[in-house]
Amino acid sequence: MILVNIFSSRRTFIFTSFKENMIGIRRFIQPLLGFHTSAVQCAEPMKKKKKMDPSIIRHREQRKMKRIERSIRKLERVERPLKPLDETQIPLSLKYEIPIRQRQLQPISQDIELSQRELLVAWSHHKQKEAERDLACIRKLLDAQGKALKELKLESEELYIEATQLDLSLLPYKAVGPTRTPQIKGYDPPDGDYIDVSRKWE
Amino acid sequence: MRLSSFASTQTAKEKWDLLSAVCLERKPVIARNLLPIEKEVLSMAQKMEYRLSLKSDHEIQLEKDRERQERIKQGDADDSDMDQASLNSAQDFEDASVEELSKFPFADRITEADKEKDQKSLDRMLDRHLLLVVRQKLGTSSVWILPQGQRQEGETMRQAAERVLAESFDGKVQSRFLGNAPCGFYKYKYPKHIREQDGNSIGAKVVYHYIAPVRK
Repeated sequence: MILVNIFSSRRTFIFTSFKENMIGIRRFIQPLLGFHTSAVQCAEPMKKKKKMDPSIIRHREQRKMKRIERSIRKLERVERPLKPLDETQIPLSLKYEIPIRQRQLQPISQDIELSQRELLVAWSHHKQKEAERDLACIRKLLDAQGKALKELKLESEELYIEATQLDLSLLPYKAVGPTRTPQIKGYDPPDGDYIDVSRKWE
Repeated sequence: MRLSSFASTQTAKEKWDLLSAVCLERKPVIARNLLPIEKEVLSMAQKMEYRLSLKSDHEIQLEKDRERQERIKQGDADDSDMDQASLNSAQDFEDASVEELSKFPFADRITEADKEKDQKSLDRMLDRHLLLVVRQKLGTSSVWILPQGQRQEGETMRQAAERVLAESFDGKVQSRFLGNAPCGFYKYKYPKHIREQDGNSIGAKVVYHYIAPVRK
């Protein structure tokens, strides 16, 4: 069915129903009787919806539910990975337990607070001196290395180039720091040894 | 015609022996003891942390147990209290944990090698850095120095250092060179009577390489 498209200087309007069409046509195209056309609308009126059998609809819904439930059960069977620490939240129950969990302590006396402040000042001095010593140590190491390389260069250019080559076997570098007590010789851990069986893709 | 001073180079280049030496270091195995100020600050920090913290589940349980004990003593305990009292209390758990810790056989910080003053063992002075020092003959006298040896033809300084290390020990050392670059330099002249002889070098230039032993 072709609809009437009437353009005026001010507005454009599209009529969508046959009845409205006839009114439009009567208003503007009176002389032509019987034969009505409209301009091409690049659209089609809605198709009539066929009524589905309710049992078939139910069947389909049931199948969808079953599929989803099966996938849920599969995921549940696999061990759930732990949540990353960045995403952990404080359990809400703790919010209401705060009054129970707060400590009732005597406030710190003036003397103790003063001594604490003095201790912190002394500590900051100590740490500053320690940092200065560490930096001086690093500077000495670098200076010694620089001197060694300079002298090596004076002696022989080839050896100098060999010495300045990168040693890629050092990367990735791993170092284990000192512990409080040394390793117990021949210790048999009660929980057993940890053997890493993770796959390695080289 | 005289050569200008700018253009002159060492026409007779001085001959120096190139020696390669190793600094084999055993790093500290255990952390050093705390200084007095560190101990004070640590105790202060722990007290502050205790003040600012909230009670843990274990502490809450201890309090509840204590209250329950009070109630049982007073005589106004209900059935639920009696049921709970028969279970393992939090205090029992704490006592058992403390006992387990006290019974754990930690290794001594001061080892047998320390007590015997065995200077050849790697197991001594676990909180300090140890450097390998060997007795080598320099000229006529034998001195305690970091192992060194002359670099041979076709070797890089690092290869020379590896050779020197291998020669110092009979077996293989589990060690790791931390890079191709040297870490130190030392230059010394030989005594006059050696220098003056033809074909001999003026002195030696020792280039030190740093090695850390690898521990399992």
